[in-house]
Amino acid sequence: MSSLSKLTRNENMKIYRRSRTWIMIGFLLLAIALLSGIMKWDESRVDHSNWEQLLEGQNAGLQQQLTESGEIDEEYKAYLTEQIKLNEYYLEHGINPHQLSLWSYVSSSSNLIMLVTILTVVIAADMIAAEFSWGTIKLLLVGPASRSKIMLSKYIATLGFALLLLILCFAASFAAGGLLAGFEGVNQPLLTVQNGVVHEGSMIIDTLKTYGFSVVSLIMYVTMAFMISSAFRSSSMAIAFSLLFMLLGNTLSALLSGYSWSKYLLFSNIDLTQYLEGGTPLRPEMTMGFSILMLAAYYVAFQIIAWLLFTKRDVAA
Amino acid sequence: MSEAVLQLRNLTKTIGMRKIVDNLTFDVPAGEIFGFLGPNGAGKTTTIRMIVGLISMSKGEALIKGVSVRSHFELAMTHVGAIVENPEMYKFLTGYQNLVHYARRHNGITKERINEVVTLLGLQNRIHEKVKRYSLGMRQRLGVAQAILHRPSLLILDEPTNGLDPAGIRELRDYLRKLTKEEGISVIVSSHLLAEMELMCDRVAIIQGGKLVDIRSLQEARSQAQTKIVIEVDDPAAAEQLLAAAMDGSRLTVSGNQIELIGDKSAIPHITKLLVASEIEVFGIHAVQKSLEDQFLEITGGEMIV
Repeated sequence: MSSLSKLTRNENMKIYRRSRTWIMIGFLLLAIALLSGIMKWDESRVDHSNWEQLLEGQNAGLQQQLTESGEIDEEYKAYLTEQIKLNEYYLEHGINPHQLSLWSYVSSSSNLIMLVTILTVVIAADMIAAEFSWGTIKLLLVGPASRSKIMLSKYIATLGFALLLLILCFAASFAAGGLLAGFEGVNQPLLTVQNGVVHEGSMIIDTLKTYGFSVVSLIMYVTMAFMISSAFRSSSMAIAFSLLFMLLGNTLSALLSGYSWSKYLLFSNIDLTQYLEGGTPLRPEMTMGFSILMLAAYYVAFQIIAWLLFTKRDVAA
Repeated sequence: MSEAVLQLRNLTKTIGMRKIVDNLTFDVPAGEIFGFLGPNGAGKTTTIRMIVGLISMSKGEALIKGVSVRSHFELAMTHVGAIVENPEMYKFLTGYQNLVHYARRHNGITKERINEVVTLLGLQNRIHEKVKRYSLGMRQRLGVAQAILHRPSLLILDEPTNGLDPAGIRELRDYLRKLTKEEGISVIVSSHLLAEMELMCDRVAIIQGGKLVDIRSLQEARSQAQTKIVIEVDDPAAAEQLLAAAMDGSRLTVSGNQIELIGDKSAIPHITKLLVASEIEVFGIHAVQKSLEDQFLEITGGEMIV
């Protein structure tokens, strides 16, 4: 009888022995290099020699705004005072906030998690359907491994690939940031103002938080692609449909947000950052708890459908 | 012949109202090459796929070494090696990697065993090349290598000769013989190539419309088969008269210069003497054994196969 770990090794072999996988990985690294390069180039066009005067000038302007117009609402007032506090902190500690640090590169790399998601969705959609396309499904299923076990090993390998891409994305942007802005920036704190006092937080935890939210949507899209993969027996169809749903989903949710039932759509709930400070939920009655519940329900449904499709159908072709 | 390696008990597959496979029950003992014969759509492939779990059973049971495929699939499959239709491989992997992929699913396949099988099938020179560069014959050999890697008790081959050239077919046949003799493996083969089946199998099951029509031993069939005697003469009418009287009652047919009659080989000298004595010119006499194909067509009512 087959062990799950050996089956997963088999699936890994089938992912990483294909040149396509390495082209994808190269593509991701290239995107990170390109993004970092553009950021550096954009920064180099600005003269940073007199940043202290600039900040002082900015603070004076903010102060003036604050005292002159007593009519402005409280929220904006609080925002202005926070800005002033931060700028004072920058001046005090000799930090130029407009100069890119290592963490600026890392946190902008979180935008590339969308690319990581797309690449993983392609792999996931191919995972089961490709065995049918290659005709190897019979070879795979006739053996001392139950279909559920084979499917689980494929799902684990897919998530493993996603994890690899995420680590690469983080590590490559960290390296790019270090090379372009200097590795000494690694200890730079995250500055926030709470109750009128500037707090120093950990940059790495903040970045991981950004990554974490993106991983939620990554897992949902990948699981959906996996389900589509077991429904279709041609890998190109599975890939096409998975990407189509993924790319059109958000637009669809935005278009339908006028209807109250749109809150039950997967795509309306997939972005949890809408509940963070400064975000607006798609519909006013939606809460973070509601979305997490919806996502969990979708996740379970995807898994059950994929499992039924894969284990209960006859392989006749 | 010892305990049955494969037992089918009322195996049935129903799709909608149609019974694709209807109540099949038979045993395949150890060390036997067992053939599946039947016209297209008779249910051969469906039966084989039910045995290996690719298609679910509607009713009945298949037992491999006494283990139920339905309730203990993983355990039952440890005894099975299979090539279902053309052996499909991962083309982007090398032959060796394909074998490793297969070996990982079974317990206790060592590197030495892989190398042994590679040598056995004469693949050692190109085993580290990607499978996409293999010829069909080489893929077939790699398929056999995979199927026997874990020393199965039952080898299942569905249309194994598809796309093989005559040399490849012969090689496969010899190899199967060797396996059954030396390792006591039972083999189930389905093929539409009757002549091949005749050379390969010990016994054949003939299936038609999902039902088992007959199981016969080819050894028996060969010895029992009636012989047809074909005589070519210059005056068939005279010869017919003469032979009809002499052979009393045996069936005679005349076509052109040829007379055919059913009889035993031992009758030939007698017939020759008679003809020569009556001054009928004889151009040739020969005995034709009824082939499996003739018998098969007789049983299935001449329905087209292939």
